[in-house]
Amino acid sequence: MTFSPTLLLDIVVGGLTTGGIYALVALGLNLQYGLMRVLNVAHGEFLMLGAYVTYSLHTGWGVNPLLTLLITGPTAFAVGLVLHRALYAPLLTGDAPEALESRSLLLSFGVMFVLQNAALLIWSADLKGYSYLAIPLHWLGTVFPANRVLAAAVALALGLAFYVYLRTSLTGKAVRALMQEPDGAQLVGIQSSRIHGLCFGAGIAMSAVTGSLVSMLFELTPFMGLPYTVTALVVVILGGLGNMLGCLLAGLLLGLVETAGVYLASSDIRLISSYAVLSLILVLKPSGLFGR
Amino acid sequence: MAARLALAGLGAALLAAPHALPAYHRSLALAILADVALAVSWAFFSGPTRYLSLATGAFFGAGAYTTAVVLARLPWPLPVLAAAAVAAVMALLVGTLALRLRGPYFAVFTFGLAELAKHTLIWYETSVTGTVGRLMLAPPGTITLYYTVLGVAALAVTTAVWLPRSRWGIALIGIGADEERAETLGIDTTRIKIGVFALSAAFMGAVGGAMAPRWTYLDPQVFNPLVSFQTVIMALLGGATTVIGPALGAVFLGLLSETLLVQFRYLYMLSLGLVLIVVVLLLPAGLSGLLRKRRA
Repeated sequence: MTFSPTLLLDIVVGGLTTGGIYALVALGLNLQYGLMRVLNVAHGEFLMLGAYVTYSLHTGWGVNPLLTLLITGPTAFAVGLVLHRALYAPLLTGDAPEALESRSLLLSFGVMFVLQNAALLIWSADLKGYSYLAIPLHWLGTVFPANRVLAAAVALALGLAFYVYLRTSLTGKAVRALMQEPDGAQLVGIQSSRIHGLCFGAGIAMSAVTGSLVSMLFELTPFMGLPYTVTALVVVILGGLGNMLGCLLAGLLLGLVETAGVYLASSDIRLISSYAVLSLILVLKPSGLFGR
Repeated sequence: MAARLALAGLGAALLAAPHALPAYHRSLALAILADVALAVSWAFFSGPTRYLSLATGAFFGAGAYTTAVVLARLPWPLPVLAAAAVAAVMALLVGTLALRLRGPYFAVFTFGLAELAKHTLIWYETSVTGTVGRLMLAPPGTITLYYTVLGVAALAVTTAVWLPRSRWGIALIGIGADEERAETLGIDTTRIKIGVFALSAAFMGAVGGAMAPRWTYLDPQVFNPLVSFQTVIMALLGGATTVIGPALGAVFLGLLSETLLVQFRYLYMLSLGLVLIVVVLLLPAGLSGLLRKRRA
């Protein structure tokens, strides 16, 4: 394969559309992980559930997939609030903070098992999918399906909107304060458990909304969640724990690198190289590419 | 005295088991013994140091694949030793890189290891040797495998009992409590961490190596992250800072999965998740912690 401007454009646009999706799902994980140090391995399962709910609403009642975001997002937010209240808050306020990491990890494994197998019981293991906006868009000699561009644009817009909200609102300020200095933030009167709950809900809502977008592009299986969890983790580490702008940039970067890998080499090399990059960054610069 | 008698009885029962049990229960016992060995060797490193390792699947897979490659060339049980050695060398390399990371970073790094190993192997096998998978002709019988795994499990338990009483074991606890202070007190934390990490990996590799012939055909899918998860769940369920805890957890989960998994796969996994959640919230020290509380 020869390297041409068209190929470069293919990689850039393809990479940015993949990366936009990565950025949003990773932003959600970063909120939970960066703030509470809760490594929620069930994060991708909420993406899977969001995708299935959109699928069911679209194929069952003919609801426009984009409109289902208004259902999956708020529902997931509420579920996240309840989950935090019922499962994670008792752990976070418990008397053994040193065991918190492993116990919260175990807890989210439990949630993962429950959600994945509930989905298997409800929707079965067969591949599910529908076609929405699969129209080719021609641009400067390259072709892209309209649904990919739309999904990525919505994902990026939501991610950016959330970032702006974090930077400008009072709640966002409280979140940032808690990330930087948990004890100090509580001293000045920030209610950590309330913020934790909100962030947990928001994180899960982002995952579910990403799922609704992903359902327009790919076929669904109950096992689709974990790969997204792993990707989100890679992005969070790349961008730096608790660093939201870094997370958005790292998501786009990973999308670009992966797409370039697929175009230029094989898909096996792609996975190897993304793990290799992650390992190198962990060892050389654990604060992430955009860390302070 | 009673404890010694019980231990001797257990040993005798385990030794006699493969001859007394029908074939199905023999393989069940074999699988549970393998789980016990994995959980115990995971816990003697990760329990005291609190480094949450998700690399078990990688070491298990490396051991299994090693056996698959050398089985035809070496007499049993040398392939198991080779498997242990390969896993230990891998752990030395990984440990040197990863054990500088603390907390979640270490867990993430080790989590990726099984996937990285799998895809590197697939890439190597397809592009260099031109095969994706190994056939094991003339594998040892179930009874031989049973005694091999029993031996590995017994060694792992012995190590786990002996380690906390040794200087290294005390150093490990010191690392888990406050690594910087341990280092200030003159403990060579890096050497001890990497050494014990490699030792636990050697056991995991040996388990993989001893279990591999059961499949007769092996491909890189043997690097399974689920093995890492299951091991962690077993150990934490039982209580990771004890020896009996992980063993108990492995037996409990092993029996549960064998009896329910085949008939109600999804429902079983779902209830396993629920059990896990309940255990984490209500039994923070695991099943062994509950027993201790009952006794006290």
